[in-house]
Amino acid sequence: MIGICFHCGAPVPPGMPSIDGGSAGTLLFCCPGCHGAYLLITGAGLDDFYRRRQATVDGPSPAAFQETFDDAYLSRFVRPAGDASAIDIIIDGIRCASCVWLNEKVIGRIPGVKEARVNYATGRARVVFEADTVTPAGIFSRIAELGYRPRPYSETAREEGARREQRDLLFRLGTAFFLTMQLMAYSFSLYAGYLQGMDAQTKEYLQFFSLLVTTPVIFYSGRPFLSGAWRSVVNRAPNMDLLIALGALSSYLYSVYQLWAGGEVYFETAAMIVTLILAGRLLENMARRRASGGIEHLLGLCPAEAHRVTGDGVEKVDPAELKVGDLVLVAAGERFPVDGEVRKGTGEVDESPATGEALPVLKSPGDPVIAGSCNLSGTLTIACEKEAADSFIARVARLVEEAQSRRAPIQGIADRVSAVFVPAVLALSAATFLWKYLSGHPLGASLMDSLSVLVIACPCALGLATPTAMVAATGAAAMGGVIFRGGDVLEKLSRIKSAAFDKTGTLTCGSPTLVEILPAKGHSEEELLATAAALEAGSRHPLGKALVQAAQSKGLLISHYPPLSHTLPPLQGEGRGEDRDNGHLPLPAEEIKEVAGGGITGLIQGKKAVAGSPRFLTAQGVAVPTDIIIPDRSLLVCVAVEGAMLGTIVLRDRLREDAKPLAAYLERAGIETVLLSGDRVEAARETAEAVGIKEWRGELSPADKVETVERLRARGGVLMVGDGINDAPALSAADVGCAVAGGTDLAVESSELVLVKPNLERLIFAHRTARRAMNVIRENLVWAFLYNAIGIPLAMTGKLTPIYAAAAMALSSICVVGNSLRLTRSSKA
Amino acid sequence: MTQSLMMLLILSLFLGCACWLIFMWAVQKGEFNDVERPKHRMLDDDDVPPKQEKQ
Repeated sequence: MIGICFHCGAPVPPGMPSIDGGSAGTLLFCCPGCHGAYLLITGAGLDDFYRRRQATVDGPSPAAFQETFDDAYLSRFVRPAGDASAIDIIIDGIRCASCVWLNEKVIGRIPGVKEARVNYATGRARVVFEADTVTPAGIFSRIAELGYRPRPYSETAREEGARREQRDLLFRLGTAFFLTMQLMAYSFSLYAGYLQGMDAQTKEYLQFFSLLVTTPVIFYSGRPFLSGAWRSVVNRAPNMDLLIALGALSSYLYSVYQLWAGGEVYFETAAMIVTLILAGRLLENMARRRASGGIEHLLGLCPAEAHRVTGDGVEKVDPAELKVGDLVLVAAGERFPVDGEVRKGTGEVDESPATGEALPVLKSPGDPVIAGSCNLSGTLTIACEKEAADSFIARVARLVEEAQSRRAPIQGIADRVSAVFVPAVLALSAATFLWKYLSGHPLGASLMDSLSVLVIACPCALGLATPTAMVAATGAAAMGGVIFRGGDVLEKLSRIKSAAFDKTGTLTCGSPTLVEILPAKGHSEEELLATAAALEAGSRHPLGKALVQAAQSKGLLISHYPPLSHTLPPLQGEGRGEDRDNGHLPLPAEEIKEVAGGGITGLIQGKKAVAGSPRFLTAQGVAVPTDIIIPDRSLLVCVAVEGAMLGTIVLRDRLREDAKPLAAYLERAGIETVLLSGDRVEAARETAEAVGIKEWRGELSPADKVETVERLRARGGVLMVGDGINDAPALSAADVGCAVAGGTDLAVESSELVLVKPNLERLIFAHRTARRAMNVIRENLVWAFLYNAIGIPLAMTGKLTPIYAAAAMALSSICVVGNSLRLTRSSKA
Repeated sequence: MTQSLMMLLILSLFLGCACWLIFMWAVQKGEFNDVERPKHRMLDDDDVPPKQEKQ
């Protein structure tokens, strides 16, 4: 038999801890974590938690975890691994290191399983097992018993590509790194030899070995730069790659010639620039992957199979085969394969992937459902309205693909500098050659002097100027809770001219909260709130949810309507008898009718109860007193039973506390602020004035928002801050889209800047970091030019002595890297 | 002198190559795929692991 965990309500696997709870009987726990949590809570004298907590807000119903797994279907995902088999499993519900621990241990102990490794970051498990001892279905049901939801995982082509790219980069960098380390030993010996004297034989050996280790660094590790440079030559657009390739190749060729001619070599310059810039690329790549960690999860939301209702039963089909109008059966615990409309059944749906709304939403016939959201209770039959390829999840996937294929140009500014710098240096180099050759120098010597111009001009300082600063700044920002997706975002953010804000959920908390309870004479606050909450218990309206939440936080138990029999104890249960005696505790309301934009009516114990706006109540024949004092920007919910006023509840969507400082900061920084709201113009105006935003627009559709952003762009860079699906297009349209934590996944995917904490003050930090990073880059470039201004004339006249060149190069690189590292130090603020 | 130098140079190159091969092997094996979990792993109390426990 399977017990229920006293702490979290998940089924209890055998062998887990239990406690003798005295009169309550034996308390079972699903895992040591819950056991520990229980001990902690009771140890702190907070036993009340278990009595006060909302008994009816369960996780997914147990039915979700009792589904059977089909071996024939799962075997498609099994790969051979040596003499055993392996399968990748996405485990839904992994939240912490203990979940990983638990899964690894439990899967690992299934007879026949050789190895189980769970990746904490992606929530994916790789299980190696012996196919003749255990089946995939056995492993899956074991995970399901733990209270997690396993899904088979197969890598998409894009993910595989990204993983390959990362590994390829790691290979190249690793090779470059080890070889450069070797090279440095030889180079330092050569430096010493230059200063102290070294016999020609030894020098030749060392130079030869230098050549040996440098060649793979240039032609294997540096290949991405070489091919990039070639493309830029073909396209006649000089860029960073060309600069790097030019620097590395020229010093390589120069050194090869000098090795042959018996001069001094610069192999370390060539190898160093490739290695350092590869390291920068790897870091940037990792930062990008981290920011898009949620995408894989999102794409995994679509179920791999759907149950289509046919004339004589139900058949399993691939969601891609569903046509518009098909009826699809979705059992409790399953995710919707397509967007559709509920035709039969009632159940609660977790729409958090689409809307970010944490509370489940009640769906009954006629309601729309979104692909990827999860049916928590009850069996729903939906009519397919959009094919799988067109569903919400697919649209998001496409957006993601787009965003990612828009390969982040690491440094616009560096490419722009290169575009001027590369031709200039090439011209100087050619001029040197002509001048030397025409003034009577031998061909070889003239060629060498012109090459030495390239050697001294191109490399490190300039190549490192932007990447190091950007990596340092984005790294520091990530530590501070701001993720820049790509270095170019820093540049764009540093030069924004206006900032547009969404209202609800961005400047405000997004959901109304209770401000005041004003009971009518002869009624108590509890009675008023409890009645309202009972009526609104199943409501999807934000106001209703706020009321229910307020009631819960005051310890009033709310019952769902309609009752969800299998997740709830029976409503008439003995446990509730005593509550009823209190008189003001809510009772399940019946015959609930919600009037959009007005209010809600229902029967409580046979009495007609009404809750809603004052106008709605008046329309219902209730005498609403007119002398209620209404604070600004608030919403009123009046409650009446049998035509008699119980009182009024005041709610308000509160402004975020940090909205004002942000607006003030932006104004000081000379950035225009605009409020773009889908709400009424009046509401937009009030919020804008309260925050200190000068311009506001109301009643905007998502398309209108895009248009407004486009118009703002004519005046300069635009930052758009938003959180909802309706903001997503505007976020993409703006120069810098910024999603606030807790926003919808779609908003996050459309953004280039993500605030990890729902804290607008992070935006000030982000803007400051961006500006400082640009300053550092400018300093770096100035330094690189200064160095060139001295080095190039020396090289042109052939007066550049090797030791001076080496020292200058090292010094300039150190200056640039050190300057960039300042960003990480002072960004802690 | 040059002889021993030559030997040392080649020896160092071999050492470097050995390190490089180990690194490549580690990358190939996916050792760098998850850098988050291993640091928690050491905190797990691995009491006497009852290998292949019968359920």
